[in-house]
Amino acid sequence: MATGSHSNRSGTGTFGFDWLSVALVLGGVLLLYYVVPLVSLFLSVPAGEILARMNNPTVVDSATTSLLSASISTVIATLFGLPLAYWLARTDGAVTKVVLAVVVLPLVLPPTVGGIVLLTVFGPGSPLGEAAITAGFPLTRSLAGVVLAQTFVASPFVVVTAKAAFESVDQTLEYASRSLGKSRWTTARNVTLPLAGPGILAGITLAFARAIGEFGATMMLAYYPRTMPVQIWVAFIELGLDNAYPVAILLVLIAATALLILNTVATNPWE
Amino acid sequence: MGMTLELSRLRKAYDQFDFGPVDLAVEDEVLAVLGPSGSGKTTLLSLIAGIATPNSGSIRLNGRNLVGLPLEERRVGMVFQEGALFPHMTARENIEYAATASDRADELATLLELEGVLDRKPPKLSGGERQRVALARTLATDPDVLLLDEPLSSLDAPIRKRLRDELHSLFKAIEIPVLYVTHDQRTATALGDRIAIVRDGFLEQEGSPSTVLTQPTNRFVARFTGNENLFEGTVTDRSGDGVIVQVGNIQFQTTAPDISASAVTVCIHPSRVEVEMPTLADGDRAANTVTGTVTRWLNEGSEYRVEIKVEAGALTLTANVRPPTFERLSLENNSGVQVLIPQEAIHLIPERQ
Repeated sequence: MATGSHSNRSGTGTFGFDWLSVALVLGGVLLLYYVVPLVSLFLSVPAGEILARMNNPTVVDSATTSLLSASISTVIATLFGLPLAYWLARTDGAVTKVVLAVVVLPLVLPPTVGGIVLLTVFGPGSPLGEAAITAGFPLTRSLAGVVLAQTFVASPFVVVTAKAAFESVDQTLEYASRSLGKSRWTTARNVTLPLAGPGILAGITLAFARAIGEFGATMMLAYYPRTMPVQIWVAFIELGLDNAYPVAILLVLIAATALLILNTVATNPWE
Repeated sequence: MGMTLELSRLRKAYDQFDFGPVDLAVEDEVLAVLGPSGSGKTTLLSLIAGIATPNSGSIRLNGRNLVGLPLEERRVGMVFQEGALFPHMTARENIEYAATASDRADELATLLELEGVLDRKPPKLSGGERQRVALARTLATDPDVLLLDEPLSSLDAPIRKRLRDELHSLFKAIEIPVLYVTHDQRTATALGDRIAIVRDGFLEQEGSPSTVLTQPTNRFVARFTGNENLFEGTVTDRSGDGVIVQVGNIQFQTTAPDISASAVTVCIHPSRVEVEMPTLADGDRAANTVTGTVTRWLNEGSEYRVEIKVEAGALTLTANVRPPTFERLSLENNSGVQVLIPQEAIHLIPERQ
């Protein structure tokens, strides 16, 4: 370290930069790489034209489908995810590790592969898919299909983030509450959930953001009804890039809102 | 009201540590559980509270077996080491969360002098206030047993002493079994009606503070209660009222009754060793007198710890000397002194180890 900083100092004299400047430049380039395309998107089309096209039925329909399906997926992910997250947070051992690996699997699996996996269970060729179609409730090419795809890829965010939130609540506090004569449920409601709340909210927000952006698995399971990402794809393929802008801008705004929530009421898990 | 907590053959096995079997009965009294860290003190409380499940044995509260009951049905109050206050609730909300009656929170706040801080949340409370709130919260449930896990250990000395005095009066007022876990001998003797010494998951000795301090049953208890003068000795004469014991080439007259073993550990508490001027006449005191020189001394605040090499034998005695005596004798290294060891201050442990 000492020799390194010494040679840096001489380097500064000769070339006018040191390693800190190099790091700043590298990081700055990356930041520009994030920000410039976003700004460019908003500058590509006049704001008035975008607003006019927001009323287009395909835009409205896809936004409705996405918001509805992502909301349902998030509720399902939370309902099923929180108990699992709590169990993972309070249990140690080999079983816990395996279960956690299974939970993380959809996060690392390519979404299209996730779609294929789901199709083998819920697709028209499968017994379950067949039965559902007969019952008049098809699990593909339907809102149910969208929800299935979104829940698969988004729910791990609830489990993993809420697990960390539960782990941050000292178990002694739960023992203290119960030794005061309060049941497990009363303890969870009054002690654990309020303390883990911001972290859980972060998980829910991330799951919603992931669900609303879901494309790969949704394409495989439910091309119709079109969600916003699918609509962007269709507009781009059939009518060209310009026509994909309005929905893309909507999605950027939703993502920005999610970020806002993460940095205000929720605990940003990456901070 | 007369509560009794009885532990019988209580055992808990962990990967690296075995607790018990332990038998213990606590009436309406304060039992101070004293032991080094890792000795199983907290395990004992966890088993009684229901945080840990024993492998075998029973825990009975007035005859009702607590083993198998969930925490919330045991009526066992526990004050945790750092208080374990709910950080999102104010002091008042913490107490009211537990309170069985609506006016209980104010009552306890008055008792524990918490009126001024009731609207603060735990991070805004001092260490002493936090422990008082924790205590109030536990008492608000009117528990049948009170467990305290080193509640004073993280506090500064002046606050610790003050809260210790308050606890002393409080314990007198409540008529339930109290188990007070600590690693500090002074806290244990100050608060305990009885003391139980634990080591490696076992009860080593149980008795009144003075008994445990002056008559330890083994070397560990002796050392842990501050008894530094432990010497190997041999009983040489059993004919008198008290036996005579030889350490090195010094003979000590004791008041200890006849003891079956000949090989013993001679145990002399430093607080009972008196240091005097070398010229002082022995008089007719029933004390063993030896001469020696000071080899080391330490100012421990309320007393001096003085090490004295005894001339006649190859042994070093430690004495606690009060500051007035220390100054009167103008002690320093190599000072020649006379050491008086009262006959009744010599305790014999029937083992050498």
